[in-house]
Parts: sequence; structure tokens; C-alpha cells
Amino acid sequence: MTTALAVAFDWSYLSENADELLAGLRRTLQVSAIAIVGAFFIGLVLGAARAHRVPVVSQLAAIYVEVIRNTPILVQIFMLFFALPPLGITLEAFTVAWLAVMIWGGAFNTENFRAGFEAVPQRYREAGLALGFGRISTFFNVTLPIGGRIALPSSINTYISVVKNTSLMYVISYPELTKSALDIQALTLQTTETFTVLAVGYLVIVWTMSALIRLLESHLALPEER
Amino acid sequence: MNLPDWVEPVARYMLAEGLTGTLKIAAIALAGSALIGITLGTLLTIRFLPTRALIRFYIEVWRGLPILVTIFLIFFWLPEVSDRLRFGPLTAAAIGLTLWGSAQVAETTRGAVESIPREQHEASSALGFGWVGRHLFVILPQALRRLLPPMVGLLANIIQNTTIAQVIGASELLETGERQVERLTASPPIGLGEVHAFEIYAAVMVVFFLISFPLIRLAAYLERRVV
Repeated sequence: MTTALAVAFDWSYLSENADELLAGLRRTLQVSAIAIVGAFFIGLVLGAARAHRVPVVSQLAAIYVEVIRNTPILVQIFMLFFALPPLGITLEAFTVAWLAVMIWGGAFNTENFRAGFEAVPQRYREAGLALGFGRISTFFNVTLPIGGRIALPSSINTYISVVKNTSLMYVISYPELTKSALDIQALTLQTTETFTVLAVGYLVIVWTMSALIRLLESHLALPEER
Repeated sequence: MNLPDWVEPVARYMLAEGLTGTLKIAAIALAGSALIGITLGTLLTIRFLPTRALIRFYIEVWRGLPILVTIFLIFFWLPEVSDRLRFGPLTAAAIGLTLWGSAQVAETTRGAVESIPREQHEASSALGFGWVGRHLFVILPQALRRLLPPMVGLLANIIQNTTIAQVIGASELLETGERQVERLTASPPIGLGEVHAFEIYAAVMVVFFLISFPLIRLAAYLERRVV
């Protein structure tokens, strides 16, 4: 009897909590968008520095990548939110929310772009230099358009992980989708409804982004691979 | 170098209680992910639409959901479905990571199994192996070579992701660290009235780095050698 009740879906849950859930969804998307844009530029700049072995920047980028990749993102969030204030640096939950996933995504994106740029055949760059392009314009006209395309699918995978990782902002009580939904659950005890909404919400975002990868892969494939 | 007095008991507690918990969750999740993932990934190579659709759905759901949501689902929702599905934080986290990990392994296994040349299937069929025997004794042992590097990488990721169990209060490294931060912050005689959050969380990062860095390097090395 109780089992049947617990698993039944109460549709009024949606109408009664729509405002809060949509606000949570909006914050998830907002934080993700800021982090994705930031991670794109971090990956682009540091990936280029790594691929072209720019002195000092390349080594610093390598350290950054290894530290972020080899430590759990949740501990990084704890560092930013709980360990910095006693040292005199206090960041708002919103700032930590986008900053943490941006730093994390930027590290993975550096690797994505580095691999992409390094996959561009050396002879293409030589051809650009032979045609009289400088090093910088060779990068923007030759390496970036080709290497960027190669790096695109893996970088979108990183952005998908960025969106999923915003759920960890639950621990700093930033009211994104997960935190908002679980707050409602704590009040109404409508567990089934809460998790249905959460699962559907994340899967729709993630599956849409994966579909985008497949779409772009065929659209942006290099001519020789078609 | 003299460490302050508070360090020794904190470190001992975090390693004995926390690191043990972390490794326990990771070990269960790795074994479960390998077992379920290799089975599902092999079944995925059968050209039979219903099983493929079902396994695909399993993979896409558990890969698509944030692990935190999966762990919450197991810890808060399953007990409402049936009282027998009430798990402790450690078990709930291990199950959640197994669902996520097995989805990753299934996808890689499919690729590895499909990379084995058709002749291997034909030859083992000719020797009288049935589907199960053929895969168990001929195809999978060869596919495992290709599977090894991603499995080592997965172990590193599983170990990192055990920290998510902190959210439901499982005694893993981050949770024990947080408990110690709170204890030290309390005024004497319980604590010191001092905040040592930075030192303790930095130590947690170092421990994870020391585990993860060699594993990721090993995975990259195996990738170059095996494939």
C-alpha cells in the first residue's frame, strides 16, 4: 500500500514548484554557460601554448592541468569555498560555482586543444609560413581552423561534464537545479517526483549536447575524412 | 621540521578511517563496474534490437546523470520504493559509482570486442565453441588487452569520484577531513578554536594527487604499449 503511494507520480508537484525548479534550472544553465565560455578561452590559449611549447607558459599550463586532473573537483570546490575565507579571501557561492567548474573545464580543455593543434600536420604550418604568413597569422589561419575542428568533439564532452559537475554546488548551498529540487524534497517529501524532475532535466541537457556532437562531427569533419 | 601537535592525530584518523573508506568504495565500484560493464558491453555486440536498445538506454542514463544525482537517487529514493533497498552511505556510494563506471566500461568493451577480427569468431566456432564459450575463452581475453588502459584510467576517476560520497556522509577521505576541520574549529577542550581548513583540504588534494597521477601516467603508458 505505502509502496504504491510512494512510487505514484503527483503531477501537482510540477505546477506547485515550477517557479523554484525553473529558477534552479536557469542557475544551472547560467553557471554552465559562464564556465563553458571561460573554459573555451583557457583551453584555446593554454592549449596553443602547450602545442607550440611557448616557454614558461607551457610548463605552468602543464602543472595546472596535472593538478586539476588528478584531484577530485569536489575537493577543489571545498578549497575555494571553505579553505580560502580563513586566509582572507571570501568568495560568494555564485562565484565559486562558475569559477570551480571553469577552472576544472579549462584544464581538460587545454588537453583537448593541445591534442587538436598537435594533430595538425606539420606540413600545413610550413605551407602557411612559406606563403608569407607570420607565426601568429599561421596559427589563426591554419592551425586553429583545422586543430579546432579536431578538438571540437572532445571539448564538447568536457562541456557536458561541466554541466553535470555544476550539481556539486549542492555542497556550497548554491541553489542550482539539484539543490533546488532537493530543498523542495526536504519540505514536501515528494521523493519520486523530485528525482524524476532531476533525472529528466539533466538527461535532456546532456543528451541534447551529445546529439550536437554527432551533428557537428559530420558537419565540421575535415574534407579528407568525409 | 616540527609539525604542530594537532597534525598527528588528525592525519592518523584521516588515513585510517578516511582513506580506508575511499579505497573500500573504489574497490567495490571497480569490481562491479568491470563485471557489469564487460558483460553488457559484450552483449551489446549482438545484433538483436531489443537487447541493444535496453543496454544503450542503461549506458546513456548512467553516463548522462551527474554521479551526485545517482547517489542521491540510491540513498533517498530507493528506500521509499522498498524498505529492503535501504543502504548505508558507503554501499549507496559504491552502487552509484558502479552504475556510472559500468556504463563507461560497457561502451569501451563494445569497441574492444568489435575490434577483434571476424576470423577469431569463425575459427572458434569451427572448433565447436558456442556463443558463451567463444566470447569467454577466445574473444574477451584478447579484448582485455585493449580494455586495460581505459580500466586503469577509470580506476583513477572512480577513486576521485568517491569524494562525492561525502555528500551523504560516508566516511571517506574528504568527509573525515571535514570532520577534523570542524572538530579543530570548536573551542577547547573539544578542539583548538583554530581553523585549519586550508591545510587539511590541501592534504586531501595531495593524497588524491599521489594516487591519481601515477595511475593516469600508467594508463597513458599502457595505451602506447598495448594498442
